[in-house]
Amino acid sequence: MHIPDGYLSTPVWVATDVVAAPTVFWLARRAQSKFDHHRVPLMGVMGAFVFAAQMLNFPAGNGTSSHLVGGALLGCLMGPAAASIVMTAILATQALLFQDGGLLALGANVFNMAIAGVFAGYLPFALLKGSRTGLFLAGFCSLMTAALLALSELLVSGVAMPPAMITVSLAWFAVSALIEGALTMAVATALERIQPGCLRRPQSGSRAWVVVAAAATLLASFGWLLASAKPDGLQSLALRAGLTGRVSSLLSSPLGEYQASFIANPALSRTVAGMAGLVVIYVLCTAVSRAWAATRREGA
Amino acid sequence: MRHARLELWSRGTSFAHRRHPAAKITAALIVLVSIATLRPVHWRVALAYFVFLTAMTASARLPILRVHLAATAVLPFALVFAVLSLAAGTPERGLAIIARAWLSALTTVLLMATTTQPDLLAGLESLHAPRFLLQVMQFLYRYLLVLVEEAGAMRDAAASRAGTVGVLEFRRAAGAAGVLFGRAWTRANAIHQAMAARGFTGQIPRFRVFRFHPADLAFLVAVAGPVVALRFIAG
Repeated sequence: MHIPDGYLSTPVWVATDVVAAPTVFWLARRAQSKFDHHRVPLMGVMGAFVFAAQMLNFPAGNGTSSHLVGGALLGCLMGPAAASIVMTAILATQALLFQDGGLLALGANVFNMAIAGVFAGYLPFALLKGSRTGLFLAGFCSLMTAALLALSELLVSGVAMPPAMITVSLAWFAVSALIEGALTMAVATALERIQPGCLRRPQSGSRAWVVVAAAATLLASFGWLLASAKPDGLQSLALRAGLTGRVSSLLSSPLGEYQASFIANPALSRTVAGMAGLVVIYVLCTAVSRAWAATRREGA
Repeated sequence: MRHARLELWSRGTSFAHRRHPAAKITAALIVLVSIATLRPVHWRVALAYFVFLTAMTASARLPILRVHLAATAVLPFALVFAVLSLAAGTPERGLAIIARAWLSALTTVLLMATTTQPDLLAGLESLHAPRFLLQVMQFLYRYLLVLVEEAGAMRDAAASRAGTVGVLEFRRAAGAAGVLFGRAWTRANAIHQAMAARGFTGQIPRFRVFRFHPADLAFLVAVAGPVVALRFIAG
């Protein structure tokens, strides 16, 4: 599920980076404000724990084995904001040290696994108040959402995949998600026995936004898959609704079609658009960071 | 392990090793964007990127063959899509994925082989990455090997008791993960207590302060200039 560099088209990696980077900034600020400084070593060690737990093989039948992915488990243990940060740290470490996932594709991987995956997993856990079924569904939804998003992003990027391959992939994702659900439930149950009260059940005040965020994530992942499987669908819908002209005028910008329209040379145009995307991400992150800091100062 | 080898390489003293980490991160991003926007891949330009990155490896006094081999970690995944593209009648698209994936991985390996992990985090901090995230990454890296070794020892112990890992019962494996978590949790608390005793207040002190020198700017221009020029030639 770790997408390396070179697979995603420029629109996809720029769009996912634009979404993921400010979200991680916001979640980092939120996690930082909620925890004492002693949580920092704990979060780091929990990240190392997930890495290490991925080494433990679980029998998955027919002589095959599987391992824990861990996004849902972290969400249940630390809450979704902190879990997203730990997963982001894991993904960044994997990309830098193990070349497991790309640097430009880090936004896509973070969005799929650390943001959408963690929050989609937290939804059933929060709704079912931390029951065993909730834990199982947390693992299932987390992996399924991340896998569907990864598949959609590859399809939208134009990576060749015959329909049979997509069907096999979806079936494989479903099996993997079932295993992840069983692993999350089994490991969390074992943890509760060893360390009672370690699961972080949702507080009443924080529940609404978690549910909304997770529901939006689930809807978005399925929507992406539908859109990517039939990319002409959105266009035909826009045509039928008479929106084509308005949409194209709305989308026309100096960087529309991921090309800098003010530069004649197509190569330089695409490169400038890519660089501009990175600058936009940087400015967005700085703006989010400063706005948050200003809000905190006013509140203090 | 691959990261141990990268850490060994990153302790070099070449011109590239001594540059400001923010300059190296920015240069790596420019190279990655240039490679990612090569659509379709212009083969002469791809070869020129390969030669350029190989020259960078040599100038950083790194083992060329081993650095290139480290970048091949991405190839198995890329080969699957190359085969699919071949089956779909678009082999050039599959080859383009392999070329882009390998060149991108080579760039990342070069960045990590010339920058130590603490320096990389300092560079990211100077580029305004969230400090909280960087601190988590720092602790994660510090205890990664310890817990991975512990998990490996538990796996070996279980294998020696139960024959092979594959026949371990599901619940027993979950219990092992639970025990690992318990140990990690205890270790995290012990670490915090030890750090608090040494005066830790949430900020990790830096032992090396970086300043952006003209040489860093020269390095950035020397890397970005040819790369952007090549991208321009590719059309």
